[in-house]
Amino acid sequence: MLWGVQIVGVVLAIGLAPFFMGIAQTVKARRQGRRGPSVLQGYWVLAKTWHKETTAPEFSSWIFRLAPSMSLAALILIVASIPWSGSVPSVWPHNLLVVFFLLALERFWVGLAGMDSAGTFGGLGASRVTTLGTGIEPAMLAAFGLLWALSGHTDIQPLAPELARRSLGALPWGLAALSYVFVLLAEAGRIPVDNPDTHLELTMMHEATVLEYSGRFLAQSQIAVAVKFTAVIALGWVWLGPQLASPWANLGLRLIELSVSSAALGWVESRFVKLRYFQLPAYLAMAAGVGMLALYLVVSGGLN
Amino acid sequence: MLILWIVASGLLISLTASKRLLSLGLTLALSIIFLVLAVWGLWGGGSAFLAGPYLALTPVRAWFLLVLGVVSTMSSWYRFGYRQHDETATAFWLPLFMVSMVGVITAQTVWIFMTAWEVMAITSFFLVVAHHDRPGVVKAGYIYLVMSQVSAIAILSGLLLMASAVHSMHFGVWAADARYLPLGVKSWIFGLLGLGFAVKSGIIPFHVWLPRAHPVAPAPVSSLMSGAMIKLGVFGVVQFLLIDLGPTNVIWSVMLLVMGAVSSLLGVLYALMEHDLKRLLAYHSIENIGIIFLGLGVMALGIDWHRPFLMVVGLVASLFHTLNHAIFKSQLFLAAGAVEQHTGTLDAELLGGLIRSMPGIAVGFLMGSMAISALPPFNGFISEWVTFRGLLSIAGGSTGLWAVFGLGMAMVLALTGALAGMCFVKASGVIFLGQPRQPVSHRVIPRSMTWPILGLAVVSLALGVFPSPMVHVIASLAPALRAHAAATPLPLQATVVALALVVVAAVAALLARVWDVREAPRWNCGREVDAAMQFTSSSFTKAVRTTFAVIYRPHRNLTRLGTQSQDFPERLSYHGGTTPTWERYLYRPGYRLAWTISRYSTRMQAGSVRLYLTYLLATIGLMLLFVH
Repeated sequence: MLWGVQIVGVVLAIGLAPFFMGIAQTVKARRQGRRGPSVLQGYWVLAKTWHKETTAPEFSSWIFRLAPSMSLAALILIVASIPWSGSVPSVWPHNLLVVFFLLALERFWVGLAGMDSAGTFGGLGASRVTTLGTGIEPAMLAAFGLLWALSGHTDIQPLAPELARRSLGALPWGLAALSYVFVLLAEAGRIPVDNPDTHLELTMMHEATVLEYSGRFLAQSQIAVAVKFTAVIALGWVWLGPQLASPWANLGLRLIELSVSSAALGWVESRFVKLRYFQLPAYLAMAAGVGMLALYLVVSGGLN
Repeated sequence: MLILWIVASGLLISLTASKRLLSLGLTLALSIIFLVLAVWGLWGGGSAFLAGPYLALTPVRAWFLLVLGVVSTMSSWYRFGYRQHDETATAFWLPLFMVSMVGVITAQTVWIFMTAWEVMAITSFFLVVAHHDRPGVVKAGYIYLVMSQVSAIAILSGLLLMASAVHSMHFGVWAADARYLPLGVKSWIFGLLGLGFAVKSGIIPFHVWLPRAHPVAPAPVSSLMSGAMIKLGVFGVVQFLLIDLGPTNVIWSVMLLVMGAVSSLLGVLYALMEHDLKRLLAYHSIENIGIIFLGLGVMALGIDWHRPFLMVVGLVASLFHTLNHAIFKSQLFLAAGAVEQHTGTLDAELLGGLIRSMPGIAVGFLMGSMAISALPPFNGFISEWVTFRGLLSIAGGSTGLWAVFGLGMAMVLALTGALAGMCFVKASGVIFLGQPRQPVSHRVIPRSMTWPILGLAVVSLALGVFPSPMVHVIASLAPALRAHAAATPLPLQATVVALALVVVAAVAALLARVWDVREAPRWNCGREVDAAMQFTSSSFTKAVRTTFAVIYRPHRNLTRLGTQSQDFPERLSYHGGTTPTWERYLYRPGYRLAWTISRYSTRMQAGSVRLYLTYLLATIGLMLLFVH
């Protein structure tokens, strides 16, 4: 039963990832007064890209060819670590710190691929993506600060019941959620950190690392972006959102939450502009500070 | 007795220095004996052969002997292919250096410990200055020697203080009695020994010798120094300060944590700015020693607070990271030596695309990079995970500011890890990937240099995929903790993660048909691309330099050259760099002060024999006056 729900959950999350991205894009288009493409546009683009010719730049090595598979594998493993039914079989990895390390693994390979493409854009993208990563990783740890303090362990699985049992006040919960949303926008590469729609070299980050990719490799990278988007949103709901007793209902709830969050993100994105690259450390420091504040409010005892 | 025989045989190997193959073979055999001895010591801790009145091998010591054995075996194997111009000197000093480290690890009395410690310092000095004809090498060696002596003085004072407090020079007695010392004495011992071992480990701000001495030494020596020698400082802290002394003032535990945090963060920040591969690796040694000290701090807090879980997690984190760092750091240093032998340079700005001319070394370096960046499925991932676990347990089980402190330490570690990942994307990317930046020579690398590097990579992968046996060995090392060892949860499923990663990546690669690819020119907005358009080591880290400008204090100097240079420069000259803060604001004043004092002292010491005789007479007179 657990295995069944988990497998269905992982397959659905990966399969629906382009759809969730499509929802965000559609909401964004509507907010800009456009009709926008269909929410299924992501699938057509993927299908078209997959059947195009796959090229690799001169001077590139096997690193360039293997990097999309490696980063996609790391992200799929993150989706698999999320307890879609509310809990996972105990032999299966479900550790939040491992998720952080897997995100770092993905970033490492994206960076290597950028350096291996032997051009200016690849190096630029690799530099920007890894620099951004140095801000994201501590901020994400702080965003989960409340969680370490309350649960005392680092498993993803029993978090939500634990938090519910302690019956937090709205304030620390809200601060933790706010902090996580800041980090999520950075990790998923959305406005105000990175603009997924841009193709101008001065503004792009992740896009620069995949500039040399085409065909099947490009499709893999696009799937990876969508899967990451889904994974980081779902990760937030697992510990901040409600839990249902029935595994299938829980899975359904997650999917609804994902759709709603995607729409909300599209709305948020169209309200803001992209920050300057050199303002991003301050942005991420703010995210970390809010997370630490949430932790301090709880542990200082003032709210208990 | 057995250990004594091994030490004696090591001394004899030095005498064969002039016969290259004989000496290399015997050194390798000696290293393998270390390894066997270490495994024996870990397996059957109380074996009578390993215990003795002067030298003994307890389980904790056997762990450090294992670290030494792994590094020295691979480095000795590597030396068969490694060519340098003055091999006889290295062949003479290296066995002595190795044996002296065994002496430090197994010593049972203060006298033997200090003798071995000083022999270790002096032999390693001679190994560092092996290339003494190159500029700057002797100066680096001299700085190293001075810092070693500072460390030795602090350690000797601490050990003698402990000996007089316990009324014994024998370490066996210390293990039983030291924990009952009054807190004041314990604090003095902690301060003195902590200082001495911190200097030897390269903790910031006592690190200045490390990024100078490690890069100039031959690659196998750098590997031994970074992999094994600086770990003996960690050994000292674990053995004397944590296990023997027991609970002390909680300030000292916080101190260990803060030293660890500062060293790990600043170490990796300095490493990012380096484009000399071996200096970069040396700064990463400082970073990793900092991570080990974070683990030690967790253990110390556990001892002070009587929380066995923190003790065990801290011990596992620090000792496992000690072994892991020894493995991947010697792997990376050996690979750096191969790059130097292959191309004749270590400057990343001149290299590029080496993955085509030395594929085996490139794979070894890449795997080492993933391990040191703590990425799954390698061993660094496991030990950093355990360190995080310990720091977050401080955040979780405490109230008020302690929780924020624990989280803050964990955030520093996260920042360190991310910066390390960035630094190794840079190092592997600039040196091994892309297009060669300058035409450099390509000498063929012998197999005997590639295999040890790949061997270490396989070991680090194996420890990352199957960490549980090692974790259980470490958790049962300290006798006081053995009861709690079973309680160490490791809900990591490292094996499942590794297998799933490999399987999913392989399926994805098969689906994408990675072999069916056409090579095409690079896109650069339609312009002709050349190697100079790639990102360099300095441009890659530009944003970090700007963000952490307060630490780096960067400066740059751009000059326009040519007639009408202001508007139409023919060439540009760019020079940039960062300020060496510690050297300029901490060491230079100290150095000047030492010079001033010695200049004044020349008034007393003018070199005249008659004056000295007068001093002698006056001293005796004063002594008679007071003693009488």
